[in-house]
This record gives sequence, structure tokens and C-alpha cells, in this order.
Amino acid sequence: MLKWFRQLDSILRGDATRMSLLSDGQIQTPVAGLSVAVLLLGVLYGLCMGSFTMIRTGGEAYMQLIASAVKLPMLFFLTLAVTFPSLYVFNALLGTRLSVLSAMRLLIAALGVMLAVLASLGPIVVFFALSTKSYPFMILLNVATSTIAGALGLGFLLRTLDRLVVVQESLESPPPRPPPLPESGKQANAATTGPTAALDRAGQITTRRAKSVFRVWTTVFALVGAQMSWVLRPLIGCPTLPFEWFRERESNFFLAVLQSLVSLFSW
Amino acid sequence: MMLLYADNVLRARPWAVQEGHAARKLAQLGLLVAAFGITYGAVMGSFGGVFGERFWQVVYSAVKVPLLLLGTFALSLPSFFVVNTLFGLRSDFSHSLRALLATQAGLTIILASFAPFTVVWYASCSDYQGAILFNTLMFGCASVAAQWLLRRFYEPLIRRNRRHRMLLRAWLVIYAFVGIQMAWVLRPFIGNPDAPTQFFRQDAWGNAYVSLAHILWTFLGR
Repeated sequence: MLKWFRQLDSILRGDATRMSLLSDGQIQTPVAGLSVAVLLLGVLYGLCMGSFTMIRTGGEAYMQLIASAVKLPMLFFLTLAVTFPSLYVFNALLGTRLSVLSAMRLLIAALGVMLAVLASLGPIVVFFALSTKSYPFMILLNVATSTIAGALGLGFLLRTLDRLVVVQESLESPPPRPPPLPESGKQANAATTGPTAALDRAGQITTRRAKSVFRVWTTVFALVGAQMSWVLRPLIGCPTLPFEWFRERESNFFLAVLQSLVSLFSW
Repeated sequence: MMLLYADNVLRARPWAVQEGHAARKLAQLGLLVAAFGITYGAVMGSFGGVFGERFWQVVYSAVKVPLLLLGTFALSLPSFFVVNTLFGLRSDFSHSLRALLATQAGLTIILASFAPFTVVWYASCSDYQGAILFNTLMFGCASVAAQWLLRRFYEPLIRRNRRHRMLLRAWLVIYAFVGIQMAWVLRPFIGNPDAPTQFFRQDAWGNAYVSLAHILWTFLGR
């Protein structure tokens, strides 16, 4: 078990997605161990999330605790399943050499980052669950923690994709070019003479296009994740409502957050 | 011995943030927070008197001040650790941890040095609201002074990598967010002389932010 978390740690440190390891355009992070770490961290945060209702009802709503612990990892893996095909298709369209397996590895790694951040915010959520009575506040707090975790995870994804694009370029361009610097997305202007210049410019345009497509795609991931959390509700569980595994189809995530905001102020 | 350490912290000597013996230094800094926090807490709780049942308020408050600081610190730490790792600053984490705890120690030392003011205030004024305000002012002053200390402890880190500045800001936001609620939960710190002595106010276990939202709403709705 320690091994899985060590793998997660190497992703967090950025060791697993370093430039030198991406040199063949593929990603070599372990999938199986990392998935288990993601699952465990998801269960952990699910317990933190579900603790609110259980504490408020004096231990009667333990079913909600179980449901939250099951649903939270589900939320992330379902979002992954929904968004994975489109990531792969865009990758192929834009001509990066990411294989299906590599794309999957990359997404699992991003989930690992998200859940590590989310689980690390768990103690704060439990502390507020212990001390607050307000259901809308707990919703908003969980939305905030998930937003932070999602933003950091997607930032990681974007950085790695950008690196892949840079690696890709250096693989395709002719040899007498200086190797690209890790931090600079833009290529050095050193070799813009001769017949390679046109090639370079075309490469730069592809790079820019690839990056903007990936940015749009991360937004889609965030939206799907948000709505998925609405489909899977109740994740926190309202203390005054009876326990249900799933609720009726109605409304959407963003309206619900807005309503929580309003009810926080007007009670 | 302890005063020597306290002096080192106040002068922002590199003792706390130097390499080596990290665990022992953390323990020493934690001990400083506890000792000086207890000092100020005891003084803070003496508003209603120190004899009879009121003595317990002194004990409670003395326990609560270190609990407030170290509890908030412990709750905010996991996320700080993960985010530090994510931004590639893991190798500096031990250093930043000691810098932050040293700042906490500095805060309590400064607070403890304000304790005589509090005694004089309590001796000269019997208004409970006034006591609350005065203690808030003392905490505010100590926090501002501790910021200065924090900047000095963090300076070498920021010089090494500018990301530390951003993460320090993130830490302060999370710390304040948790700390405000922690202070709210741990009430009463001073002890209303008209109310019975108790560790927690059972009826007042609520959420500081929800109460604030409510106050804001009623204020704006008027």
C-alpha cells in the first residue's frame, strides 16, 4: 500500500512527468497502483463529506456516510470515463503521439493530484462539519474545496500536456536545433533561417492550437465533473431529509450552488 | 533556557530554520507556543476573578489559547504539505514548517508580553464588552507584529524560489479561514462574569461565517 502512495508522491513532486521521461511522447506512470491510491483517498474524503449529516443527526444517518464514501470515488472515475474518449480523440486530431494507454495514465495521474489535494482538505471539512449547523454552508465549503482540488489537478494536466507538445515538436523538427528549454512553450528563435523556417512556423501554429484545445477540454472536464456531482447527489446529505441513494432528476449543479448562496444569506 | 529560545525567535535568529535536528526544533517551538499561550490565556481568563469557581475559567482559557493556535496549525497543515509538493517545493518543506511554527511561537511570545496591559485593563474596567474589545486589539497587534517576524523567517525561502511567496499567501488565507472558526468554536475565552463557568458554550456551537452572513443580511436588509 505504501508503494501506491509513493507512486502518487512521485506524481505530486513532478518526478513522474519530467521532461526526460516524456522524451518518447509517452507517459510511464503506473495505472493500477495509482488507481487504488485515488480510490482510497476518494473514500477518505467521502467519509469527511458524509460526516456532517451523521454528526447532525446523532449517528442515525450512518447510511449517508457509507453512501458518500462510495459515491465520491465514483464521481471522479465516472467523470474520467465520460471525458476520456474526447481527450483521446483531440490528442489524435492534433497529432500528439499520446497512445490510448498514455492518455489514460495521464488522466489517472491528474485524478491523483486532485484527490491528494481534496483529501488533504478533509480535516478542515470535518472540523466545520463538527461545528456548524448550516447545510448550505457545508455545500458551499465542499464546492470550494472541490474547486481548489479540481483547479490544481487540471493545472497539472495542462502543464503535462504542454510539455508533451513541446517534446513532440522537438521530436519532429530536424536535428540541428537547440533542445527546447523545459519552461518555455515557445521555441527559441535561433533556427528561423533556411528551409526549416517554414516548418518551424507550421509547428508553432500547431503547438498553439494544441494548447488552446487542451484548455477548452479542461473546462469541459470541470463542467462534467460539477454536473456529475449533481447527478450523484446527495453527497453530503441534508440532515432534515430521509436518506436516499439518488434523488429525482431536477435542476442542475450551478443553480443549486446559487440557491445555497442565497439561502446562506437569507435565513 | 526557554527564555533563551524565545529570545532567538524574537530576533529571528536562523536557529529555528537552520538545517539539522528538525524534529527537536519543531518540538521546542511547539513547547514555546504552549508555554506562552498558556501564560496569556490564563491572564485572559482572569476577567471574572481567580477564586472559587472562577479559577476554572482561568484554567480553561489557558488551555484554549495554545489549542486554538496549534489546532488551526494542525488542520491547515495537510493541504499546505500537498500543495507545496505539487509546486515542487517539497525539499524546502521542513524549512517552511519551522518558519511557520516559529512565527506562531513569536505570536504567543508577543501576546504574553502584552499580558500586563491586560491585567491593568481588567483592574481598571469592569465592562465585559470592553474586555472583549481589548483582547481583540491585543490579538490584532500581536498578529501584525508576528507578520513582520514571518517575513524575516520566510525571506531566504522566497529568495530561493519565488513560488514560496504565493504559497505563503495561500497558507495565510487557509489559516485565517480555519482560525476564525476555531476561535468561534472555542468561545468563551474571557468568560462573562454573569454566565456560569464552562469550557464550551453548548448553545453557541455554530458557524462564524453563517453568523456573519446573517448579520450582514439583516444589516443590509434594514
